[in-house]
Amino acid sequence: METMSPILAAHRVSKTFTNAKDQQVLAVDDLSLEIDEGEFICLLGASGCGKSTILNMFAGFIQPTAGEVLLRGQKILKVEPRCGMIFQSYALFPWKTVRGNVEFGLRMKGLSRTERRERAADFIAMVNLRGFEEHYPAELSGGMQQRVTIARMLAADPEVLLMDEPFAALDAMTRQVMQEELLKIHQQSGKTIVFITHSIDEALLLSSRLVVMSARPGRIKAVIPNELPAPRQIAVQFSPQYGELKSAVWSLIESEVRRHGTAPD
Amino acid sequence: MSSVTDIANERPTGALAEQPAAAERPATRVRRSALLLAISTLSVLTVLGVWYISTERGWVSPVFLPKPGRVINEGFENLANGQLGKDIWMSTQRVLLGFALAGIVAIPLGVIMAVWAPAKAAMDPFVSLLRPLPSITWIPLTMLWLGIGEGQKVAIVFMGSWIYILLYTVESTRRVDPLLIRAARNLGASDVGVMLHVILPGALPGIIAGLKVTLAISWSCVLSAEMIAAQNGLGALIWQGKDWGNLALVLVGMLCISLVVLVTDKLANMLERLLLPWERHQRT
Ligand SMILES: Nc1ncnc2c1ncn2[C@@H]1O[C@H](COP(=O)(O)OP(=O)(O)O)[C@@H](O)[C@H]1O
Ligand SMILES: [Mg+2]
Repeated sequence: METMSPILAAHRVSKTFTNAKDQQVLAVDDLSLEIDEGEFICLLGASGCGKSTILNMFAGFIQPTAGEVLLRGQKILKVEPRCGMIFQSYALFPWKTVRGNVEFGLRMKGLSRTERRERAADFIAMVNLRGFEEHYPAELSGGMQQRVTIARMLAADPEVLLMDEPFAALDAMTRQVMQEELLKIHQQSGKTIVFITHSIDEALLLSSRLVVMSARPGRIKAVIPNELPAPRQIAVQFSPQYGELKSAVWSLIESEVRRHGTAPD
Repeated sequence: MSSVTDIANERPTGALAEQPAAAERPATRVRRSALLLAISTLSVLTVLGVWYISTERGWVSPVFLPKPGRVINEGFENLANGQLGKDIWMSTQRVLLGFALAGIVAIPLGVIMAVWAPAKAAMDPFVSLLRPLPSITWIPLTMLWLGIGEGQKVAIVFMGSWIYILLYTVESTRRVDPLLIRAARNLGASDVGVMLHVILPGALPGIIAGLKVTLAISWSCVLSAEMIAAQNGLGALIWQGKDWGNLALVLVGMLCISLVVLVTDKLANMLERLLLPWERHQRT
């Protein structure tokens, strides 16, 4: 079999920040990772271990201090629209309505007004926000705003979805609905997803592969394939296989927590 | 953030449903605001009453403070002969022209300074030097350059206004959330796209707030210019009142200035709501 080249790769990447006190902070240390097309990767690790930093490098928002990040073999040197980012804090444009936000990427591509409307309507329906097209983000609840960001990114049609703790601010019920919707989107579109979470349960439910990171400086502690049967629903949590996997992941993280003193969840 | 979302009908039941003001019962709220209105009215009536009695009884000489009746008469007289209307219109015209020119120059310049450091570096020394100068200090030079016609009045308004508009524009443009700029670029926006769809709308509320503050400043500029050299306008009216020893006319002029500035402010607020539809929904 021919080996597939990865869609996204980090080769021996390090990132050092200079903080406000002029000290050097090593956020990511010599990290290498290859992600194949269609994978659903969950990045798991304690706060401050460098997860967002990695995602920001994949999106091209920041550049590594050493090593390189590659999209389809090409170095990522500037903001990369093919890697769409979902921000934890939504980052919706407050002056645009739901429709204006969802149409944004299409508008930047120069699509005509009618074409934009049509395509945006599909994605607004997909995230169950029909009837809210003319609302401004400030009029929506947190869960609804997060769904607008997802529709906005899907409408722009990136090849990779980068998601930074997208559901962390949601209440438990909304989160569960969103997780199931995201799984459906992944199945239907076959897009590659890199998803950061604090929650082992969320990672086990969503991922095809789990990447557990060590506490700062960020290195990969373990990569665990998630072979729980797909398509998954919340009920997968009651299977014995799930329990085994969870305790395996937990023991990996626990040693990090003991070493560093911060719990992941 | 709302903690409960009614998934069945997709309506937020948390933060949106419970408005903080609604916690107070409507009836109580109406009674409270009626009471506050009564206090305001009473305080105005008291001041008017004291003014009336002290001038009627001769406790205060009319040389220092005319009777309220005199002021009302003076007002109606000048209204009837068209003098007051003409003065108001002349001043308004000068303010609007100078203010509009200041905005046309300062807003684009401020945006450029905020996004392009060399422009800011080039402008900063002049901004620092010009900012402390009150607009009246420009009167000698503008008179020399432009005479004492309309151009000179407009120039005084312009010189007194443009720096404030510039400073507000630079500040609010720089404050635009960098995360939104990242998001826009991530969605494929070019430099022009970022400018039109993120930076300008993001800075707009701050720019409009600055324009509102500056408009009041523009009014004080025109009045000082008119007091020093003008045939008409509210500033000239007040100065004539002083020269003729007609204090009632001075008070009429002052009252008109207050009213006109209040009305412009109300109009500006209406325009602001029209231009910033999304701000109406901010929860904070
Ligand atoms: N822009 C920055 N300047 C300085 N330090 C930073 C910056 N961004 C991140 N860091 C530091 O790098 C480390 C990793 O941060 P981050 O990637 O946000 O962690 P995580 O997302 O895993 O919680 C933290 O110690 C953080 O303080
Ligand atoms: Mg983070």
